[in-house]
Amino acid sequence: MFEPKIMSFICKWCTYAGADLAGTSRMEYVHNPINVRVMCSSRIDPQHIFYAFKHGADGVFIGGCHPGDCHYVEGNYKTLRRVFLVKKMMRDMGIDPARLRLEWISAAEGSKFVEVMNEFTEQIKNLGPLNFREMASIDEGVSHE
Amino acid sequence: MSGNGPKKKIGVFVCHCGINIAGVVDVEKVAKELSKYDGVDFSVDYVYMCSEPGQKLIEETIKERKLDSVIVAACSPTLHERTFQNVMTRAGLNPYQVEIANIREQDSWVHPDRHEATVKAARIVKSMIEKVRRNQNLEPLAVDITRRALVIGGGISGIQAALDIADHGYEVLLVEKEASIGGHMVQLSETFPTLDCSQCILTPKMVEASRHPKIKILTYHEIESISGFVGNFKVKIKKRPRFVDPDVCTLCGECEKVCPQVVADEFNMGLSFRKAIYMPFPQAIPGTYTLDIESCLGLLPIRCGKCREVCEPNAINYDDQEEIFEEEVGAVVVATGYDLYGLDNLGEFGGEKYEDVINGLEFERILSASGPTGGQVRRPSDGKVPKNIVFVQCCGSRDPENHNPYCSKICCMYTAKHAMLYKHRVPDGNATVFYIDVRTGGKNFDEFFQRTIEEEHVLYVRGKVSKIFKEGDKLIVWGVDTLTGRKVEMEADMVVLAMSMVPSENAEELLKKLKISTDANGFLSEAHPKLRPVESLNAGFFLAGCAHGPKDIPETVAQASAAAAKVGDLFAQEKLYHEPTVVSAEEELCAGCGICVPVCPYGARTLNRERGVVEVNEILCEGCGACAAACPSGAAQQRNQTDEQIFSMVKAILKG
Amino acid sequence: MKVHYYPGCTLKEKAVNLEETTVKAMKILGVDLKEPEGWTCCGAEFPLSEEKISGLAAPARILRQVESEGGDKVTTTCAFCYNVLKRTNYALLNDPLKHKRINAFLKDDIKIDHETKDKSTGFDPYHGDVSVVHLLEFLRDEVGFSKIKAKIKRDLSGLKVAAYYGCRLLRPYSEVLMDKPDDPSIFEEFVESLGAQVVDFPFRQECCGSYISVSEPDVAAEASYRILRSAILGGADIMVLSCPLCYYNLDRRQGLIKDKFLEFSGFPVLYFTQLLAWALGEKISTLGFNDHYFNPRTVLEKVVKSEVAQ
Repeated sequence: MFEPKIMSFICKWCTYAGADLAGTSRMEYVHNPINVRVMCSSRIDPQHIFYAFKHGADGVFIGGCHPGDCHYVEGNYKTLRRVFLVKKMMRDMGIDPARLRLEWISAAEGSKFVEVMNEFTEQIKNLGPLNFREMASIDEGVSHE
Repeated sequence: MSGNGPKKKIGVFVCHCGINIAGVVDVEKVAKELSKYDGVDFSVDYVYMCSEPGQKLIEETIKERKLDSVIVAACSPTLHERTFQNVMTRAGLNPYQVEIANIREQDSWVHPDRHEATVKAARIVKSMIEKVRRNQNLEPLAVDITRRALVIGGGISGIQAALDIADHGYEVLLVEKEASIGGHMVQLSETFPTLDCSQCILTPKMVEASRHPKIKILTYHEIESISGFVGNFKVKIKKRPRFVDPDVCTLCGECEKVCPQVVADEFNMGLSFRKAIYMPFPQAIPGTYTLDIESCLGLLPIRCGKCREVCEPNAINYDDQEEIFEEEVGAVVVATGYDLYGLDNLGEFGGEKYEDVINGLEFERILSASGPTGGQVRRPSDGKVPKNIVFVQCCGSRDPENHNPYCSKICCMYTAKHAMLYKHRVPDGNATVFYIDVRTGGKNFDEFFQRTIEEEHVLYVRGKVSKIFKEGDKLIVWGVDTLTGRKVEMEADMVVLAMSMVPSENAEELLKKLKISTDANGFLSEAHPKLRPVESLNAGFFLAGCAHGPKDIPETVAQASAAAAKVGDLFAQEKLYHEPTVVSAEEELCAGCGICVPVCPYGARTLNRERGVVEVNEILCEGCGACAAACPSGAAQQRNQTDEQIFSMVKAILKG
Repeated sequence: MKVHYYPGCTLKEKAVNLEETTVKAMKILGVDLKEPEGWTCCGAEFPLSEEKISGLAAPARILRQVESEGGDKVTTTCAFCYNVLKRTNYALLNDPLKHKRINAFLKDDIKIDHETKDKSTGFDPYHGDVSVVHLLEFLRDEVGFSKIKAKIKRDLSGLKVAAYYGCRLLRPYSEVLMDKPDDPSIFEEFVESLGAQVVDFPFRQECCGSYISVSEPDVAAEASYRILRSAILGGADIMVLSCPLCYYNLDRRQGLIKDKFLEFSGFPVLYFTQLLAWALGEKISTLGFNDHYFNPRTVLEKVVKSEVAQ
């Protein structure tokens, strides 16, 4: 049974707190996504996203604050623009842009976090494994950073 | 060892949290697995890490095994990160050498399957090990604070803020552009809902401010620029030449008598005249005459000179010059107030054409006992007492298509007040108010409004006015009564328009200079609309009064006091401490492209064109990392969350 | 100076006095008017209905013709034509569906296109770029009100004029953009450039009744009466306007107005070009005043004494 690997980048102020809320409320969801906490979703660089795909992620998730609510004023707008560009690049590379998901989840939306995680994981399951290294014919021996 | 790189000795402590974690995650197994991980010197599981013995365990292990960094795998960092940072400090290590792996809220509490939860827990801990491996020792940044405040604007909000800050014991510079403090409140006749005489309640505060040993009032002064950062501002202030020495002027008024130049009196909204040398109003503070150079016949060369001739105390000095000087302050309260939307914006109401179509402040001057009509309600055109008066609410407000989208908040109340006062003075007169809604949310406001209808019998017509024009001697008002669905055509002797409140026109230029954030309507933006209403996102700037948005006097005073309290918070600290997890700019890697500069919402980064590199003001950096993501060369890296760290965390999570 | 000029059909039939005085006045001011070849009726009201886009074809074709004759601007005096042409441009510029459909029609309309264009060059769509200016705008911006002032031959300083805009010249503001709808001034500036005085005239933008004059003449009569009364109360000697339909309601219908509103005894209403032509020296007998219900001649001759100014 294919179990997708989901790399999740979530912002400390909103989505991380939302994920915590899901925990405090004992909501259950799929085990696939593992979170890295950043101060703001705008910390996420296209580099980080592609690195994740390269190293085995079948899907990448970014969680930030709702527009207008960013703790750092407009970081989430920057993230939005970057994700838009990255999806274009993914398309050009032959990676289904649906494998990158950007979602606004506030600290109060524990249930939304659960819903999105379940939905996204299911979606990636249906898309199948990415096999990036095969696709990109990367030689396992060469190290990149 | 405090260095970077994989040579650190890391200790791992996996918490059971009773059965919260251990009931799902095989904590023993996790600890064992991690003991074999690269860099891990010691790995153990324990029942309650946050307990006294738990903390002691960490402390002792650090000392015994000479650990460099620690991972605590437990509940969310939001709960106990501080706790464990304190443990590090007690053990003699830098608090940034501990990281918390969240294996409870984001693992054991949400994944029922033991195997899955355990595998995930191990990966989460490994990702945090990769992060802490590269964590640098960081110290919070400390800056000194100049415990002196600048208040821009001498209206009720500025005066209140200045008084409160000064009462705290700090020095305050109160800068006001006009010749006297008092703002618009001093122009009002009576204030709602008490009908207190406005000047009677304001002037004692004005006097208090002028006598306060900690307040320095600078009227006829303007702010040129503010540079620096919170706690350390440098302000350039321009003193406009007054040509009269306030300390010498005795207010005898002889100069005014002989001045030949007559201009419209702004204090009376153009309803009367003043001389070029004038006092704005009798209770002006400072109590002095001022020579308005714009309306004076001229001093270079001296075209008249009469005022100086008759000045016995020799207070008049034609050689007075403009001066620019610098002051240092630690906090700025922006209290620049409001103006009313120009009558020329609503041509269909004929405000500019017809003298008897006026705005609220003009009507206040007519009502005022110290105004041009001595408090009698008279038409500006011919001085007759108007028997039919129409009030129109929402002029330019609540109109997103053509004018201002917002509600100006005070108009419903002051229109009711105007109608009531009119009826008091012209009992046989008829007052009609055209309204969309009547908003009377404040304390005792609705009761006041109900009196206007029940006791004063003012007619309220629900509908907008489309046109006002003159036919002969009378004004014709075209409106609609939406409750009956009929058009209304009404005759009036006078019309008072409740014009929209807009941010002070003088302030527009100033706010741009200060780079303080304003909203789409030009009002100051608060840091958080619900929880931080008196602070700006620009650190060190505080907001008070109508500069922030339309509000009435009770709210203005409350906000001004709140802003003063925040200034007090700032000044009460010994030093300003700032989170050091900021984004640096590695000069060797920086190409000076400048992309990161506009990305920063706090203006923390500047491009030094001479050196061709970016410089960071770490005090202003809030550590969001947006610039780090934007930097093409990797010169901008966030301390303890570098790209390298993120990559290694991702790898640990995906490869396991 | 040359400019394309679209008279519209009414000016050639019912509003001949507007047309002739326009031509005369422009000649004196040194402006050469060129009518686009083969022009048709602009459609008046109907092109602007939302249901039938095809109504825009006629005005679009007129503008297209101007463009193909090398013109980038067309001027007109009829307020209705002005409104329609201006809004046609706006529709083509802002609504992609209308742009597509109308150009499809223009493409099929081979009669005019192929007379001026080579078949081999293909079809050039019309995008809505021909600038439509009312004669008042043209006089202000291209000729210049000061130039007109310099050529005035009669002393009109004693003449009080009510400048009537009606609705078509100003509304809808976002599409027509001639002047501020709540407080316009272009017509008043024009009157002042002739040397005459302007009166405060609050009903200057109220509707005269327009087409309802056909089905409900009483309604139109009342609407027009209120406008005339406002001009009279303002102290005006005459009213000037720019629309044949307004002229019909405000002058030709004065018989009906008199019947309904007994205190009304008639009032001179003229096209602004009649006043312009006269001010520039044309003889009063050539201005088409005999066509009016209320002949303005007596009032004009009474108020303005001298035949030729200093």
